[in-house]
Amino acid sequence: MRIVWFLIEKEVRQLRRNRTLLALLLVAPLIQLVLLSFAANYEIENLTLTVVDQDHSPAARRLIDKFQYTPYFQLTRVRPSSAAAEQDLLADHADLVLVIPPRFERDLVHGGAARVQLLVNGLDNVKAGLASSYAAGVVQAYQDELRPATVQAAVAVRGGLEVVPAYWYNPRLNYKTFMVPGILVEIISLIVMMVATLNIVREKEIGTIEQLNVTPIRKWQFILGKLLPFWVAGLYQFSIGLLLARFLFHVPMVGSVPLLYGIMSVYLLVPLGLGLLISSVSNTQQQALFVAFFFLIIFVLLCGLFTPTEYMPAWARALDAINPLLYIIDIGRRILLKGSTLRDVLRPVLILLGMAGAVNTLAVWRYRKTSG
Amino acid sequence: MPAVELINISKSYGATPAAREVSLTVEAGELFGLIGPDGAGKTTLFRILTTLLLADAGTATVAGHDVVRDFRAIRNVVGYMPGKFSLYQDLTVQENLEFFAAVFRTTVAENYDLVRDIYEQLAPFKNRRAGALSGGMKQKLALCCALIHKPTVLLLDEPTTGVDAVSRQEFWHMLGTLKARGITIVVSTPYMDEAALCERVALLQEGQVLRVDTPDALRQSYPWPLYAVRAAHMHPLLQDLRAYPDTHSCYAFGESAHLSLAHAAPDAAARLTAYLTGKGHAPVVVAPVAATIEDTFMDLLAQQQPAA
Repeated sequence: MRIVWFLIEKEVRQLRRNRTLLALLLVAPLIQLVLLSFAANYEIENLTLTVVDQDHSPAARRLIDKFQYTPYFQLTRVRPSSAAAEQDLLADHADLVLVIPPRFERDLVHGGAARVQLLVNGLDNVKAGLASSYAAGVVQAYQDELRPATVQAAVAVRGGLEVVPAYWYNPRLNYKTFMVPGILVEIISLIVMMVATLNIVREKEIGTIEQLNVTPIRKWQFILGKLLPFWVAGLYQFSIGLLLARFLFHVPMVGSVPLLYGIMSVYLLVPLGLGLLISSVSNTQQQALFVAFFFLIIFVLLCGLFTPTEYMPAWARALDAINPLLYIIDIGRRILLKGSTLRDVLRPVLILLGMAGAVNTLAVWRYRKTSG
Repeated sequence: MPAVELINISKSYGATPAAREVSLTVEAGELFGLIGPDGAGKTTLFRILTTLLLADAGTATVAGHDVVRDFRAIRNVVGYMPGKFSLYQDLTVQENLEFFAAVFRTTVAENYDLVRDIYEQLAPFKNRRAGALSGGMKQKLALCCALIHKPTVLLLDEPTTGVDAVSRQEFWHMLGTLKARGITIVVSTPYMDEAALCERVALLQEGQVLRVDTPDALRQSYPWPLYAVRAAHMHPLLQDLRAYPDTHSCYAFGESAHLSLAHAAPDAAARLTAYLTGKGHAPVVVAPVAATIEDTFMDLLAQQQPAA
């Protein structure tokens, strides 16, 4: 172990003198966390709205006002007909068109079943989904307001059925609560895997490995000496990131933070070990970097942070069984938002433990002191 | 027991042979030179001896340990200086030395007497980063790091390449001191003048050993009458010498041309002077010289590849 300590000491000395790498390890992830968390916004404001009011009644007026009073919509145009409004959609002047048909008020008062039409620009499907759900919310609120005066009696009599969604563990579906822990582990994974990937192969390129390989250093000592400094750096990033999540983004921390730390310290061995494995089989930093990118892009895009894994085809979900990022993001959310215990997340934790063991064993095995 | 022994070692990189059935024996305490141009296979032999490379065929031992079976034992008894500077450029002189002492489970203090002479020259720069040292200083530091675990065999791959003449001289002086302490030294160099400083040398060419002998024996084995010829213009001089009927070989050697004749004759120098003067060369100086190792090496090369 004494040898490992000297290797770590050497690694830390080199790191201290490499200002760029040091900044990359200590500061960059935190800047990225703050930037990405604010940028990865799933709330959209100021959607452009075109209104076609064919009723010209006080009831229609009130509905239009309701749209205008939310921060989500901005009434930009009023058109006489649906056909004219469709031109706005085509010209990208409107994200949403609200059509209030003739006799809207009359139907509302008499039959209680008035209809409005919403035309949504589907070019950006995320935006379209949000626009239609916001609009449905506005219409729903409008209806609730009217109900006491007009239709409450009728509803009471008919015993109407209504679905009221309740979002457990994140009652207001705050996207930051959902995204910040995920973004944090994603950024940390990226950075620690990169530095690990570039490390051994850098010694090969510079030639220092030649001198090191004639010493009695054992392969496991060498790999451990490379692993530990970046493992500590990863945990440091995680600590600061959690503080930011707590105090800047007000992410709730329902579960045990020490448990999350313990699991994170196991998880970090996976991207680190994979990076060292890639590094020990590569001959140049360029090669190593491209191989690492190949894995990182798959991990990041299939980790469920940006696209829910449920939307993916079966083969992609099967592939995801070996995506460490998917497991740790899931575990993080469960512990922080839901208060899951070790027993609840035991299966993914065991999977991560297995992966960590596998990639690091491979890295030690594949690192060669002899060639040819 | 020989300190280093290679028996029929062969190694190819793809279709290119780097070592062809090389057999060499270096006795304990010897200062042995591997001499040959770039690409002769010197580095390949060092990498096989330091367990960094596996030979395709043949066996080798260092300090009695087989390079394949006992590779771990070899790493403890060998000091290696790779041809390319391989210390940490971003660590200081002192940090490099301490690091290599530590990975060999020793300390600088423990073996300081071995490196004292060399390290004292480096001491003023001990807090300078290795990358900021001059070529000669780098080479001294590398030698210190290769010595810090008290190896019994030192393997030095072209330690003086790219180093100034004064530092080269100092370096060879240091090797003499180390040899006096009983350390076996195998050193490679492309410089023929350095070959003369070894006890025995192996002349290598294209992965093959042409000859192994002492520098004196190599010089004396030169079979042809040899003359140093000088004139004002080297290029036409060489051309005319090559056209001379009795010429065996002729090549530039510093400021003069070395000419070997096919037959010895008492009046050879006088006849040659007359020939060159007749060709318009002036002033012509022809003097018999003793062969150097380089002359022997050139001659051996010529035997290998029949002149085109």
